[in-house]
Amino acid sequence: MKRDPLEGLLGHTGRDPGCDAAFEQFDRYCDACLRGKDVEREFPEFMNHLRNCPGCREDAEGLLAALRQLDED
Amino acid sequence: MPDRGLEEVDDLCHQAASDAAMAILRKLPDFRGDSRFTTWACKFVMFEISTRLRRHAWRHRKIEPNEQVLDRLVDSALPALTRLEQTETLHFLQRAIRDDLTDRQRLIFQAAVLDEVPIDVLAERLDSTRGAIYKILHDARARLRRALARNEGKEERV
Repeated sequence: MKRDPLEGLLGHTGRDPGCDAAFEQFDRYCDACLRGKDVEREFPEFMNHLRNCPGCREDAEGLLAALRQLDED
Repeated sequence: MPDRGLEEVDDLCHQAASDAAMAILRKLPDFRGDSRFTTWACKFVMFEISTRLRRHAWRHRKIEPNEQVLDRLVDSALPALTRLEQTETLHFLQRAIRDDLTDRQRLIFQAAVLDEVPIDVLAERLDSTRGAIYKILHDARARLRRALARNEGKEERV
C-alpha cells in the first residue's frame, strides 16, 4: 500500500517538458548517467518528467541497461 | 512463453528495428554530436521496441476506467486520524475527477493513473500520440491539484 497516494495520482509539481521534449534529451541524459554526472542538477526538468511518466522512465531504464551491456561487450 | 508468442514478439522486434533504422536515417541531419552516436541511435530503437511491446501486451485487454480504485489507496497502516484525512482527501479527489475534468481528461487520467494503462496504448486506442496524451494527463493532474489546493484553502504552484 502506498504511503503517499497523492504523489502517484497527481504527479510531482514543477516544470515537466512532456514526452516529446524529453525524448530529445534521452541520449544526453543517458550519456551523463554513464559518465557518473549529477543528472539531478543537469537535467532537473527531464528528471521531473521521468518521475511523472512511467513509460519514459521505463524507456530510460531500458536504454541505460542496453548501453551498459553494449559498453561491456 | 509458447513458441507462437515468441515468434510474435520476435516479429515485433524486427519490425521495430526496421522502423528505428528508418527514423535514424530520417533524423540523421539533426544529429549534432551532443551525445555518442550509439546512444543517440539506440534511443530510437528503444522507443520503437518498447512502444510495440506495450501495445502487444495490452492487445486483448479492454480499457475500463474504474474510479473505485481510489478507495484501495487508503493506507490501513496509518493512524486512524491520518487515515480519515487521507480518506476524505481521496473522496474529494473522486468528486473533482467527476466534476472538474473534461470527458477526455477524465478518461485519460483514470486509464493512465488509476488503471496504469501505458500512454502508448492509450495513444493507439484514441488515435493520438504519446506526447498529446501525456499533455492531457499533465493538464488533468494540474487541474486536480488546483481543486485540492482550493479545497484546502491554499494556493499551490501547479
